[in-house]
Amino acid sequence: MWGPLDWGPFILEVGRGIAFNLLIMASIIIPIMILLEIARDLKLLDRFSKKMAPGLKIFGMSPEASFPLLTGFFFGISYGAGVIIEAARSGRISWKDMFLINVFLSVCHAVIEDTALFIALGADPLVIVAGRLVLALAVTYLVSCTKYVAMNDRKRC
Amino acid sequence: MLTGQTIRRGFLKGVSVTWELAKVVVPVYVLVTFLKHTPALKYVAGIFEPAMRLVGLPGEASIAVVLGMLANLYAALGAIASLNLSPKETTIIALMLLICHSLPMETAVAQRAGVSGALMALIRLALSVMAGIFLNIAL
Repeated sequence: MWGPLDWGPFILEVGRGIAFNLLIMASIIIPIMILLEIARDLKLLDRFSKKMAPGLKIFGMSPEASFPLLTGFFFGISYGAGVIIEAARSGRISWKDMFLINVFLSVCHAVIEDTALFIALGADPLVIVAGRLVLALAVTYLVSCTKYVAMNDRKRC
Repeated sequence: MLTGQTIRRGFLKGVSVTWELAKVVVPVYVLVTFLKHTPALKYVAGIFEPAMRLVGLPGEASIAVVLGMLANLYAALGAIASLNLSPKETTIIALMLLICHSLPMETAVAQRAGVSGALMALIRLALSVMAGIFLNIAL
């Protein structure tokens, strides 16, 4: 039954819970951010995106779409946006590339940081990474086959 | 080039993300823990119980789902931390929210990039529910 709130145990529960959860989150986020910076300075993404580029043919995307796609996938939309806008301005990627990058990334972005936060709470890393990746690939493929994409394919962005 | 600066920058980014996280997680955690001690959370949970059972989550988790989809992941994290979900439930809500979160903000970004925001929100919501139903059966 709803009685007057017992403040002692409440404050204790909140204090402990906050300290515990923030400590775990910090101990996962800080090493992950260091690893991401190392990957950036070693330009790992450049090499990886070249290797992956031919695979994008499955979606009818050009190899140039590879780098912006991977940037958003690993580093997130806010960081990836700069790279994506840059690629669009330079005219190297088509409307279709841009559209499909957006479809893929809206389902699956910032996989390292966002995943880490949920691992801190006890979620299964394999399930949440693989689940998201598989769904993003499937949706992007299905959308790439639609008439809508074929109709607008000639457009430049 | 890899230098000490790389490590330093990564460390500072990690601290800044943790700080941004704390600013949202702490108030939400306090609020949800408070609601747990009042009939309010039970009342809301009762309303959402039937829908949440479909994806294997308790009614209380609806508050985390709503916060994640309408506000952002950080707010959802604060609520989930307070709810003491089982590992299976945590994995389900994690995948559902990772697929579908921050809809007002992220659909605006999609819109600016020339993709229909409403359509993307709908696709993400549908995928999120499908993933939840699937994981509830598979795990």
